[in-house]
Amino acid sequence: MALSEQAGAAASFERRVLRSAGEHHYLRVRLELPDGGARPNVAQFKQLVVSALKELHGEVGAALPVDVLTYEEKTLSAILRVVSSGLVKLWSALTLLGFYQNRRCAFRVLQTSPFLLALAGNSRELVLD
Amino acid sequence: MAGFSDLNIPQGPDKKSMQGLLETAAHLGYSAVALNHVIDFKEKKQEIIKPVSPSELFPSLPVVQGTSKRIKVLTRLTLVISDPSHCNLLRSTSPNIRLYDIIAVFPKTEKLFHIACTTLDVDLVCINVTEKLPFYFRRPPVNVAIDRGIYFELLYTPAIKDSTMRRYTISNAISLMQICKGKNIVVSSAAERPLELRGPYDVANLGLLFGLSEGEAKAAVSTNCRAAMLHGETRKSACGIVYTLKKPRKVEEEETLPACKKAKTQA
Repeated sequence: MALSEQAGAAASFERRVLRSAGEHHYLRVRLELPDGGARPNVAQFKQLVVSALKELHGEVGAALPVDVLTYEEKTLSAILRVVSSGLVKLWSALTLLGFYQNRRCAFRVLQTSPFLLALAGNSRELVLD
Repeated sequence: MAGFSDLNIPQGPDKKSMQGLLETAAHLGYSAVALNHVIDFKEKKQEIIKPVSPSELFPSLPVVQGTSKRIKVLTRLTLVISDPSHCNLLRSTSPNIRLYDIIAVFPKTEKLFHIACTTLDVDLVCINVTEKLPFYFRRPPVNVAIDRGIYFELLYTPAIKDSTMRRYTISNAISLMQICKGKNIVVSSAAERPLELRGPYDVANLGLLFGLSEGEAKAAVSTNCRAAMLHGETRKSACGIVYTLKKPRKVEEEETLPACKKAKTQA
């Protein structure tokens, strides 16, 4: 009886292992600019990302497939998609970007995940204790 | 888990900008920062002043994001040494030096780097990231420093400001990694403006660029910083420090039994 119970308990769970890692990584980023002055539109934003990549990683970095999935001009926040192998390159390029049109700026990487759905909520904003 | 820390926030005269920096650091998720007071012996008559107490400077400290705790503010003294005579100050146990939580040295020559790693009673050794290294790192002093629990500090703000400095930062960091193999590294900001600060995970990712592994890169902004802080604390005590932590007790032993064992006892 014990055996059958164990088997029954085991059957109600299904184990799934994802052998190949996801193709892409998704980043939710926010651009911080000092108050006042020009705000980039979506094309300028993409250009900024590519120029940041080019500054740090050269032509190879600029050729990295990066997509801007959403961009909100009001809050300057965006969701970027990048191939997984280029995550470190893109992230470090964004970190070391310091200027937009000769004014200081900073990219805040709010979340990264291999799953787009994970960006729907942010566990870091929960207050646990 | 050790929280994230940034061991280098330059102490400026402007209280308001300091407050802004602290607020940004807390918002980014740093749970501890150190206010850095730099003394360069090249400039004439530099007095070691008493550290400004953080509670005096900031009446209310900002709350760290994701927790309900307030940010911890430490004091740090950095001595720029370009001559062996400058080290006497550290040996003579000046009363004002003892008041600082963390003591760092910035050696300018290979000989001074050797002295700093092997004999000086310091917590951090700063690595030059703004110009080409004036000397090569050698294994013996670096190994001694690792054994003594001294950490090497790399700064990332110069890399944000200027592309030439960025090149030097990365190249100096990589040449250090070849010798220390990713051990005992601390990465901190030295940011003068809130827009120069970066989040702890961004900094950890930057560590990958410097040649650290993922674990070492995360340690460079968390556990290594805590170790450096504790190393500084041991200077104030006789021989060491012990922290105790209350462990949460198990509510009921019965409940924690695995399901399969339960099933057997029933049958």
